[in-house]
Amino acid sequence: MVLVDYDCCRCRNIHSVQSKVSELVEQTAAGKAKQQTWEMGGRGMITVKNLTFSYGKGKQALHGLDFTVNDGEIFGFLGPNGSGKSTTQKILTGILTGHGGFVSLFGQEMVSSRTHDFFQKIGVLFEFPYLYANLSAIDNLKYFASFYPKQQARDVFELLDQLEFKKDFLKKPVSSYSKGMRQRVSMARALISNPRLLFLDEPTSGLDPSGAVLFRKIIQEERKKGTTVFLTTHNMVDADLLCDRVAFLSNGTIAALDTPKRLKEKNSSHQIVIHYLYHGKRRERQVDALELEKGLSFPHEEIISVHSQEPTLEDMFIQYTGRGLS
Amino acid sequence: MWKGFSHLLKKDVKMMLSGKFFLLALLSLILYSCYINFIYVNVDQENCRVYLYDPNNLCSAQSKYINRAHSRQELKTACSDRFSIGIDFSADPPEIYMLSSGAEKTDRYRAMWGEAVLTELTEEKPEIVGSYVKEERSRREITAEFLFFELSAVGFLGLASVLFKEKQMGVIRVHGILPVSKAAFILSKLCVFLWSDLIFTCLLTWINVGISDSLTILPAVLTQAGILSLIMSLTGFLCAVLLSDFKQFSLFYLILAVFASTPVFLAGQTGVSWKWLAWHPMHHLFTAMKSAYFGKTAASFPYYLVCIAAIAILFYGACHILAREAAKEG
Repeated sequence: MVLVDYDCCRCRNIHSVQSKVSELVEQTAAGKAKQQTWEMGGRGMITVKNLTFSYGKGKQALHGLDFTVNDGEIFGFLGPNGSGKSTTQKILTGILTGHGGFVSLFGQEMVSSRTHDFFQKIGVLFEFPYLYANLSAIDNLKYFASFYPKQQARDVFELLDQLEFKKDFLKKPVSSYSKGMRQRVSMARALISNPRLLFLDEPTSGLDPSGAVLFRKIIQEERKKGTTVFLTTHNMVDADLLCDRVAFLSNGTIAALDTPKRLKEKNSSHQIVIHYLYHGKRRERQVDALELEKGLSFPHEEIISVHSQEPTLEDMFIQYTGRGLS
Repeated sequence: MWKGFSHLLKKDVKMMLSGKFFLLALLSLILYSCYINFIYVNVDQENCRVYLYDPNNLCSAQSKYINRAHSRQELKTACSDRFSIGIDFSADPPEIYMLSSGAEKTDRYRAMWGEAVLTELTEEKPEIVGSYVKEERSRREITAEFLFFELSAVGFLGLASVLFKEKQMGVIRVHGILPVSKAAFILSKLCVFLWSDLIFTCLLTWINVGISDSLTILPAVLTQAGILSLIMSLTGFLCAVLLSDFKQFSLFYLILAVFASTPVFLAGQTGVSWKWLAWHPMHHLFTAMKSAYFGKTAASFPYYLVCIAAIAILFYGACHILAREAAKEG
């Protein structure tokens, strides 16, 4: 199946539309190949089988989750508030105990893996920037880095520089920082130990667009280094741009799990909408993908735009979870 | 573990410095010492005044502690302060006239003093109480009371305030995923506050009891101070984590101060005795502290056993609720 995946382009004729379509077919094939690698199953960094958790009688938060996160993968964990995302992350980070089912990280079952060695291998970015407000960025990072072996810890200044942290504020107390600056220091704290497994909860929250782009770049760089990333977010742009696979969580169960592209493809209407001029008037034509494959010809003077009707990840979120983004 | 522990200690000292805790302790030390040296030892040192009304000159006693009253009315007026003792020789047999101070024990001592003055059985130094000069006794007594107050109320507040800050900043959650144990996180705080309390105890005792006299009592005093400091710090820790906001915490602090410490102070200061005080844990800690200042070994083996058990239970509870706090939502 072929999908057109570009908007607002101006094409002079139908041939250019078809050549774009061919390019996209190739890109989709490449994406499929990459997806197959995940499906074949690389080394499992996180393995979760029939994970259950209850906060008390009648307060079942997780109803038997099954998923695997491969080594070096960016795995998106998406779901509305109260769906069980945080509970799952807390279990995986060793904060929450008393779960049912099987959970293994780094090839070791969770029950026995909550050791100093385990905590040395993970990095966690919380939803809110938790830092010592009376200490500076440097003092905060030096303090948190001090719990890791020296050879493992990254250079504080280098890290803050990578995160484009304002140098004037390096020695000022965190209480004087903006939300974005606190988020940068928090990200630096999560990365300071060079973790093999990185848990990120709403990493771009509180950042301006350029900050969000920078964070996405840093997350991708981490992946290139071989770090596995478990990303919990409401931000569908982040999930779409970063994640190799995403899982939609709804009421403590996984409603869907696949690559963002595949999820969108599965739910596509397989149609494109062409806006064009004919006899000086603006017109619209809805074309089925099959029609495109056969070769499309229709009378027109100018093609104004070609829109794919592929659903967004947000549409998928609503479809699978039954709730909109808050 | 110990490498991480030293960093925790360093951070906790920084937190205490930024919270002006040491400054507060220093101010308390100055305030208590000034009060003891300039006010307390100079008042309440007077012996009970003895007034004698003897219109028929029947009494032959010539003690310097006797004040003459010229009428029954004058005697009554002089004794209206509930402190002075009146002896009425106009009655047959002579009567002791005294308004109650409110404490039975004190009234008995007052009556005994009146009789001693009358029979001229007062020694050269009537202010000697037990083996201590009265001023010395007062100094030890009030120092013990101030130390108990400082450790139980201010010490409790000190650790709780530091922890409350950490809780509000959310950094407790970060410690949940750091390669450092929860026990080390609690121990570092306890160590910092314990050292601070022990130094405070030494200084308060040296300044107000005297360096040479302190040397003999300090080991026992430091032991009691250590026990009280650990118990109160751990209680403060539990309260700060369990209570959701500072308003609730302040209310709890007030309840603790009013209902837990006040009866103990009242009993200690006024001689009021309540049977139920025997079941009040703070009363035993207070008595042990006072005894330590007087060089007595009042604290028994079961007392130490209960204290160690209480510290262990509180510590276990602190570890448990710390883990719960780390797992809380943001």
